[in-house]
Amino acid sequence: MDDHILEAHELEKHEALIPQADWFNRSETLQKLRKNKKFPTIWCSGCGIGVVMGALIRAIDHLGLSNDEVALVSGIGCTARMPVYMDFNTLHTTHGRALAFATGLKIARPDMKVIAIMGDGDALAIGGNHFIHAARRNLGITALVVNNAIYGMTGGQYSPTTPIGGRATTAPYGNIEPPFPICELAIAAGASYVARSTVYHALELDKFLAEAIAKDGFSVVEAVSYCHTTYGRFNRLGTAADMMRALKDNTIAQSAYERLTPEEKAANTKIVRGKFLDVERPQYTVAYDNLITRVQGGEK
Amino acid sequence: MPEPSAVSTQTQSTPPPAAPRKGPRGEVIIYAKWCKGCHICVEFCPTKVLAMEADEDHPRVVAPEKCTACHFCDTHCPDLAIVVRRLE
Repeated sequence: MDDHILEAHELEKHEALIPQADWFNRSETLQKLRKNKKFPTIWCSGCGIGVVMGALIRAIDHLGLSNDEVALVSGIGCTARMPVYMDFNTLHTTHGRALAFATGLKIARPDMKVIAIMGDGDALAIGGNHFIHAARRNLGITALVVNNAIYGMTGGQYSPTTPIGGRATTAPYGNIEPPFPICELAIAAGASYVARSTVYHALELDKFLAEAIAKDGFSVVEAVSYCHTTYGRFNRLGTAADMMRALKDNTIAQSAYERLTPEEKAANTKIVRGKFLDVERPQYTVAYDNLITRVQGGEK
Repeated sequence: MPEPSAVSTQTQSTPPPAAPRKGPRGEVIIYAKWCKGCHICVEFCPTKVLAMEADEDHPRVVAPEKCTACHFCDTHCPDLAIVVRRLE
């Protein structure tokens, strides 16, 4: 990367000409990046996944966890490239199996903070079974689902969260399938913590991620993002900045939503963001340890 | 943290004039090597500190004295190519 030579006229435009090694020391967030990886990231210009990565690093930093205490597990897809750039323990697995590998990791190392980073297709289509059963068991894993309503990496096929009427490569006349509501699904399946925010509300996302990681139980954070390269192009939604603005305009905070009348609630088409569930339930690895103690003749 | 010698920021080269209003001030540093020119920081900056012409690859700091250290641009930069430092 250091062979990048700026032209003289470029130098005038950018007052800050900093070697990459120095740039990593400019902020707490940048220090948590993996320094031997090729930057910039592989994501398209303006992709919201990078914002989620920043939020995740800030959340871990806020909790004061060391890099060795955190394990990031991911599958396949644009979102699954995220752990590659961060300097924590990482496990890059097969498509949809992030939670399956995370389950094994959490049972082997219950002391670790295991975070499964998945896209909407990875979590709900290919890995849908793992998602509901990890929630049912209440494993102490944080599932970060980045929902951009499309399969971006493979060329824009519709996913389980594509809205009705949304156009995609495999739905050129509009999608006819109702989307999965990720948060409602997680609540029904038995998660302990469920929250939703968007990449526009990045600081709210920081807060939810920090609470989810601190939670001892299955915690789900849905980060609503966008794919301007495929979904935005098929549906004429404009640039990355336009889609970011749409997230601002088309979402409603849970506190504001609850003040609406029943008629307004029924007519609401905006995405509700907020913390939907935060309960204490017996965590799987704790129950498992208790079982071992009981069977071996201990008290519990 | 020691300041790298290669760093030359807007405020160091041309000190901003006296702040026109009270409140926190910030300093925006853009790392051009990582920037992909997505325009998000330019469109959302509430005080129009940043600008990017159509023929440019990266935004630049055009009004450093207007920065209020709101941290919108560095929290929403998808490429982590912006750092905002709050000035005391």
